[in-house]
Amino acid sequence: MRNALGREVPERIGERSVRPFEGAFATRPAGLKAARFQKFTPRDEDKVLPSIEAALDATELSDGMTLSFHHNFRDGDFLVNQVIDACARRGVRGLRLFPTALFPVHRPLIDHIKNGVIDRIEGSMNGPIGAFVSQGGALRQPAVLRSHGGRWRAVEAGDVEIDVAFIAAPQVDPYGNANGINGKTPCGPLLFVADDAQYARKTVLVTNDLAPYPVYPIEIQQGWVDHIVKVDEIGDPGSIASGTLQLTKSPTRLRIAQLTVDAVVASGLLVDGFSFQGGAGGISLAATKYIGDEMAKAGIVGSFGMGGGTTMLVDLLHRGLIRTILDGQAFDLDAIRSLREDAAHVAMDPGMYANYDSRGCATYKLDVAFLGATEVDLNFNVNVNTHSDGLLLHGIGGHQDVAAGASMTMITVPTLRGRIPVIVDEVTTVTTPGEVIDVIVTERGIAVNPRREDLIDRFRAAGLPVKSLEEIKAEADRLVQPVGKPIFGDEIVAAIEWRDGTVIDAVRKVEGYE
Amino acid sequence: MSVRVGTDSKGDCLVEIAAAEVPDLNVSTKNAGLLEAGLRNVCRTWLEHLNTENEAVTVADFGAVDYVIRARLETAARMARPQATSRLVEMPSREMSERDRPRRSRLYVPGNNPRLLSGIEVHGADCVLLDLEDSVPPDGKLAARILVKHLLASIRFSEEVWVRINPLDAGGIEDLEDILQGQPHGVCLPKAESADDVRRLVAELARIEADLGFAERRTWVMPILETARGILRAEEIAVADERVVIMAFGAEDFTRDVGARRTDTALLHARAQIVLAAKAAGVQASDTVFADLGDMEGLAAESADARGLGFDGKGAINPRQIATIHRAFSPTEEELAAAREVVAAAREAETRGLGAVSLNGRMIDQPVLERARRLITYASKLSQGGRS
Repeated sequence: MRNALGREVPERIGERSVRPFEGAFATRPAGLKAARFQKFTPRDEDKVLPSIEAALDATELSDGMTLSFHHNFRDGDFLVNQVIDACARRGVRGLRLFPTALFPVHRPLIDHIKNGVIDRIEGSMNGPIGAFVSQGGALRQPAVLRSHGGRWRAVEAGDVEIDVAFIAAPQVDPYGNANGINGKTPCGPLLFVADDAQYARKTVLVTNDLAPYPVYPIEIQQGWVDHIVKVDEIGDPGSIASGTLQLTKSPTRLRIAQLTVDAVVASGLLVDGFSFQGGAGGISLAATKYIGDEMAKAGIVGSFGMGGGTTMLVDLLHRGLIRTILDGQAFDLDAIRSLREDAAHVAMDPGMYANYDSRGCATYKLDVAFLGATEVDLNFNVNVNTHSDGLLLHGIGGHQDVAAGASMTMITVPTLRGRIPVIVDEVTTVTTPGEVIDVIVTERGIAVNPRREDLIDRFRAAGLPVKSLEEIKAEADRLVQPVGKPIFGDEIVAAIEWRDGTVIDAVRKVEGYE
Repeated sequence: MSVRVGTDSKGDCLVEIAAAEVPDLNVSTKNAGLLEAGLRNVCRTWLEHLNTENEAVTVADFGAVDYVIRARLETAARMARPQATSRLVEMPSREMSERDRPRRSRLYVPGNNPRLLSGIEVHGADCVLLDLEDSVPPDGKLAARILVKHLLASIRFSEEVWVRINPLDAGGIEDLEDILQGQPHGVCLPKAESADDVRRLVAELARIEADLGFAERRTWVMPILETARGILRAEEIAVADERVVIMAFGAEDFTRDVGARRTDTALLHARAQIVLAAKAAGVQASDTVFADLGDMEGLAAESADARGLGFDGKGAINPRQIATIHRAFSPTEEELAAAREVVAAAREAETRGLGAVSLNGRMIDQPVLERARRLITYASKLSQGGRS
């Protein structure tokens, strides 16, 4: 069937029937949230187990179960591979993996997909696993990708029932209180999976730092936790900044960052109480820095900056340029240190951040967001999941949540990556619909969504290089021969959910190239 | 016979040409499914033009845009066979620029680095200077002049584009043979030391322009004064030919030549000499570059000083410096307001038939009035171009 954007989406994914995307704010939830079985825990029960294997016994881990994980260690995670290896050793098959995100470090899972240990993945797949899946790698059912807010919604709505939540936890006490900002190897707040911990049939904390009762801050609490496993290592915090967190030196990218900030100034939104979120890409980091410089120059103080916390954002807080940071995850070690030391650096869970089916989203309080993209099309639709070659290489992250929430959503992209144009006639995959995108900033000019005439006038008045997306595209296309297109098969390898649980697009198997 | 050119850096490509029994073209790129057909297309078209025969051509692409690939192919072909053509298939058509247009910034970019050249036209510099001289090592000179030619042929510049060639006796003439096909607005002559240097350049320009069929076209000249000798002859250099529209100061070479340290005092005489010679000849003067990219305040201060001395612009080593330089060399709102008051007072005096113009009790003499008029004209040129 076709959804409101005209994208062909499946009627069913596995046992679940699909609701097609109707519009960014079209659907309304109904009924009650899902809930968890009650449980009594005797006063003196010892929750600590000696090994992952013992946890598999205790949780009665068996075929077809759904296992959840968080991605706070990003490319330095040790837990996912350990647990799935242990499952494979005892012959468990048909698992559904429900991670917040997978990274290149999880490449060994490909073998477990091939031999049937894993037959479904619902979560972001950054890199090799995504590429494997989109070439028709043997997942028995299509993968499902959700935004941060969308994943939380799916758990609360009962769309995904978690059997066992395995939570890598840097500091844990023997009764099951835990946080991610202290301990030997802090990774950032564990709130990302606070819903998993509360909704899973069994919740298991895995730690390398078992500290006396009670540890604090308490991000995961004792009442949610069934078992605790002490291991030697859970992850390498040195890999948290997995490649993306470099302040760019590229003149092209710095120009995009500067134009972005010039546009923010011209928009009139940069006044006392200003709030914004930038991503962790090079352009966003530079823009965050320049925004700070503009705020200092104008003598204004922002209400909050929203993370992924980065050293750039922390710097704005320390310089008194923003009153608070609201943070869902830490993108570098400076952000983790600040979470420990700065009372105004507030950790929040993805439900508070962006749950569509809720009584309030922090993203709705944003004035400005600047986000990246792999492709943008002439209808302002944005793709962050697949590349022009059709391969599924990235998760959604908070893209949909922030784009839908901010008063002015800006996509910051170069017009070419190597020989591949970024502005295209039609995106390979729609992650975020053009109706929630306001401005596209490229090194060749700024395109404004026609429904934001107010911005067009302001940008022109400020002397900014406002152009149509068609003009910008034509300038870039002159520099390279037309690129080929992937040939997609009928097989759907992944569904992209919009943040309300409807399906905005489907990713199909890549069979070759035209 | 086998030659290999280019690099494996981002935005570049490696091209290898070797003798072979049968002609062959091998293309590799990271995203072959999407890109191979287009790459082959660029290569095949250009190889036909270059008349390669019985040669195996291997192209390894690292995200190079079309003009980079064409340039690398031509470089390899010319190294393999000296008789290979150096002519573009199609010359661009770039209009001449106005002789006294604003030239607040001249942005240098190394001519043999595709990554740095990429998008150089978007930064809003009044003059982009594609450099073939100091930033290009001797073994890269051929590749650089060919790359710059192909860039000029395919990139549209909304402001001016110049090429800094090598000294005429050290490859400069060969540079011209290639780059003039791309029709830059002007050519910078490094280490200019006499009117004869300029006249020699102009003679070469005229010859090659005629060869290429650009009878009506005049390529502007920017002598760069960066030696003691050059500074002393600033006056004759400025008037050597009508193509000279601007003179630039190069402090790095100058301090080395003179044995001075780079202080404002040490440079003052040279700077003043260039400004005086330029202004006496009715041409513009552009100050040397400011090398500390991290120090924007220092750049602003040095730019303000240069403007105070009478310079019209300044060199930039990075696009990040352009905004600061433009601010320093653009009239401020206050200056413009004052100039408008002076002009208004003059108009009023004229309508009332008064011989002398006065404003707020002070007499306005003719030079002040002229200066005010020039400032207003200049500001309107800046706003017409949409420059900032």
